This record gives sequence, C-alpha cells and structure tokens, in this order.
Amino acid sequence: MTAVAHERHVAPAPTRIWNVVRLHVANPMPTLVLPWLITFIVFAGNLAIWLMVVQAAGGMENLEAGAFQYSGGISWIIVFMMVVAVQTMNLTFPFALGFAVTRRDFYLGSALYFVLLSLLYATGLTVLAAIESATDGWGMDAAFFAPYGMYDEPLAVLWFAYFGLMLLFFFLGAAVATVWVRWKAYGLYAFFIGLAAVLIGAAWVITTTESWGDVGQFFVTTSPAALVAWTLPLTVVSAVVGFLFLRRATPKSA
Amino acid sequence: MTAIVEAAGLTKRFGKVTAVDDVSFSLEQGGIHGLLGRNGAGKTTLMQLLTGQDFATRGDVKIFGERPVENARAVGRTCFIKESQVYPDDFQGKHVLRVAPRFFPHWDEDLAQHLVEAFGAPMDRKIKKLSRGQRSAIGAIVGIASRAELTFLDEPYAGLDAVARRRFYDLLLEDYAEHPRTIVLSTHLIDEAAALLQRVLVIDNGRLLINADAEELRGSATTLVGKASDVDAFSAHREVLDRSTIGGIASVTVAGLSAEDKRAAASAGLEATPVSLQELIVRRTGGTLTEEVSA
Repeated sequence: MTAVAHERHVAPAPTRIWNVVRLHVANPMPTLVLPWLITFIVFAGNLAIWLMVVQAAGGMENLEAGAFQYSGGISWIIVFMMVVAVQTMNLTFPFALGFAVTRRDFYLGSALYFVLLSLLYATGLTVLAAIESATDGWGMDAAFFAPYGMYDEPLAVLWFAYFGLMLLFFFLGAAVATVWVRWKAYGLYAFFIGLAAVLIGAAWVITTTESWGDVGQFFVTTSPAALVAWTLPLTVVSAVVGFLFLRRATPKSA
Repeated sequence: MTAIVEAAGLTKRFGKVTAVDDVSFSLEQGGIHGLLGRNGAGKTTLMQLLTGQDFATRGDVKIFGERPVENARAVGRTCFIKESQVYPDDFQGKHVLRVAPRFFPHWDEDLAQHLVEAFGAPMDRKIKKLSRGQRSAIGAIVGIASRAELTFLDEPYAGLDAVARRRFYDLLLEDYAEHPRTIVLSTHLIDEAAALLQRVLVIDNGRLLINADAEELRGSATTLVGKASDVDAFSAHREVLDRSTIGGIASVTVAGLSAEDKRAAASAGLEATPVSLQELIVRRTGGTLTEEVSA
C-alpha cells in the first residue's frame, strides 16, 4: 500500500473530536452513573431526616414555614465536576496521546464533553426540581434540587445556575489541572501564590477605597441569574488558558 | 523505499540534563527495529519526540515525512505503548478495547480477542488494581492489535515472566509476518529480542551509539579463545575490544573478522565464537561510561 492510500484513513477533525467524547463515555460509571447514584443517596438521606423531624414535631403544622428549604446537599455535584475535569487532564490526557490523539483534538473533545455533561446534569436536576415544586416539596415544603437561595427562582434561572456553575467548575478544574500536567508541583505553587496575591490585592483595594459595603450590596442586589452570568467570562478565560497550557504539555509518566 | 522516521540533530534537554543529545538517523518503512540502551539512556524521551508527545529543544524530527507535533495526519497513523502506560481512572481492560477501534484505523477485533486469551489478561477488573505484568499485557494487546503503520513499544513486557515474553515475541512476529509494518521496540532484554530485530539503534547517555543492521552487528565481533601466545600472535594487529587471561588461556574479542580471518584463526588453533548482540552492546555502552568517568 502506498502512503497516499493510508492518508484517507485519518478521520476528519469533527470525527476525531467526537471520538474523544466517546473515549470519555467508554466507562460510563464515573461521569454518567456515579453522580446520579450519589445524588439520590444524599437525597434519600435528606428525605429520611425530614420525615423524622416531621414525625418528632407531630406534623407539618408544628414546624416553621419553609423549615426544609435551606439544603445545600446538591452543591457537591458542582464540586464533583471539578474533580472530573482534573482527572481528565491528569489521567485521560496521557492515555489519549498514546492512542494517537493530538492535544488539540483531546482538549476540544473534552471541552465538548464538559458542555454536554453540564447540559445533561443541569436539565436533569431542573426536572427533579420541577417535580419537587409540583409535589409541594415532597409534601413537606422541602427543597433539595432547588438549593438555598434558589427556591423561589423560576426553573429557567435554576437551570441556568446549574449550567453556568458546572461549566465554571469544569473549566476552572481543567485549567488548574493543566498547570499541574505541564509544570507539576512548582506550577501549582506559583498558581496558588499568584491566586493569593490577587485575592489579597483585591481585598486591599476594597479596604482602602472603603467599598466593602458596595461589594456586599452587589451580592445582595444582583439577581442569582446575573451573578451566574458574571462567572461566564471567567469560565471562558479558564477554557482558553487550559487550552493554551495543554497545547505545550508533555505527558509524563508519574 | 521511503524513510518513515527521520531525525536530524534531535536534542532534548530537561534543565541541565540532556536526555537526547544530537541524534540523527532514519528508518526505512517496514521491519521490526530495536531501540536498545540502559535504563535512563533516553529511549522513552526519543520515542516521545518521535510521536509528538514531547517537544525537541533542537533539531528536527519527521514521521511519514511530516513533523509529528500536533499533526493528526501523521500521529494518527502511529500507536505508542509505554511501559508505564497511564489509564483513565477506573478504566478496565474492556474499556480500553472498546475505545481502541475509534483511534486505530487498522484495529483488528478478532486479533485483540485472540491476544486477550493468549495473554490471559483480565478485562473486567480495574487496571490500576492489576499487577505490572497484567498491565503490560493490556498494553501489548493494544500495541499488536492496533496494527498501526508505525508502532512504538516502549519496554512492552515489563513485569511479564519469561513464558509470557516468549508468547509476546511469537505473537508479534506472527502478526507482523501477515501484516508487515514498522515497529520500534525498546528493550534492555537484548538477547531475547535480538532474533526479531532487523535494525538496531543503541542509545547511551542520550547519544546514538550504534545504528546498524542487526545481522551485520552480530558478525561484527568475534571472541577467540586459545593458548595465550597464539591468541596474542593472532590479535597483534587487530582491533581488540576486550581481553582476559586465565592461566595460559587467553580470550580476546576482536572486531571485524572476515571469513578468511576466521579460517586463519581456526588453523592457528583458536576457537572462534560470535559475540552476542547483548554482550556487544554491554561492552560498547559500558565503555562510554568509563570514558566519561575518567574524563
């Protein structure tokens, strides 16, 4: 066979990128099964505690209104997405390169997978929140799938909050993990020293300009949807930074 | 014949360490080639450079006539299995086999299943919980069944016992005979793999020390044993690689004996044996080590 004949075997870019998505789904356990499983276990735990409290109080009428609307149990799933992103860059990346994938295809395919996961989970959790609201909070005026602060928001806002925050944590996780993949421990030292400097610098500016009140005001007066919208630029910057870092990264064996 | 791998002045530095030092060579399409050297000699780094996984500090590298870095057209025709292959968290062997056909256009599923049985590799257990040999087996299965036009196997059988290694050589050779391609095999078990190899590249301290046809290399040195006086008389004007004497019996290793030379040695009462590839390489790489110490 001639070299020309072989070149036709190299798939076009969209196929190659989709192959990376399929690589992430090859083992559905960590990203498609486990998160739902844990969510339902945590939910079942909450449900049991609510029932116990209701029973101990001798009925719903003896409880304060909205007593069960301060749950944050679902927020673990947002942090979990960050862990998924870190594992992806740290373990799946070197594996994929051995499977003849370029860094570019790997990153784009992984980013696409992150977006798809965010869509899936944001939609799934919003559907559960809709059921929750339709059943009057599981008959106990309880809120789990619409966590604290989101209970009275429209479902569309809830969906947007899940979607936006998951994207943020995916790409933040990916960006920090690429620092590790590329520069190992020293990279992370530099990153966290830099982060601390930025935070202290910001606090300094806010203190000297006596604007802590304004900052507090911003978070109180800005709607949840707008707050999530504010994270989007950071998400985009993280995504671009992760891509640039990974483009020159070398998979090191341990 | 076209060169499938070309390296020119290829150099890779990590801080003060020069892992690959001004390496130039080319490999023709087709054949099983050995990349030999001691641990830490630069074999893995060289393979990483050839597959675009690492970036050269200086020099040029091409596979299929193109630079491999971030080049899906070139890299997509390769397969690179490392000794310390990393797998996604919680991956099992079956997951590896599930994704492999998407990335290797010449992947052969029947062959993969045959290899799974031949190696007795567990496919439904987490790879991170497997023994080193079992992990190696999974790498070897992918390396062979991928049938990539250019396959790099970096110490593919680390942790495999002698029986499993033998099986690996047999299966590799068997499939290679039916589906010829270019395979670069790095190993330090030189004698075991020697029969497989067509071309031998020896790297030591990052430098390419030997780049020769395996057959030529095997004939390139001979050990002569006999009475010390006879041995000395015969080897007086020849390149002696090694010499040892026990009592009145001497043994010398000399380079480049022609058939005529060998007849002359035999008639002088000397016993001639060809030096094995491993012995030859150990001598050559050991040699550079002492030179550097004395320098």
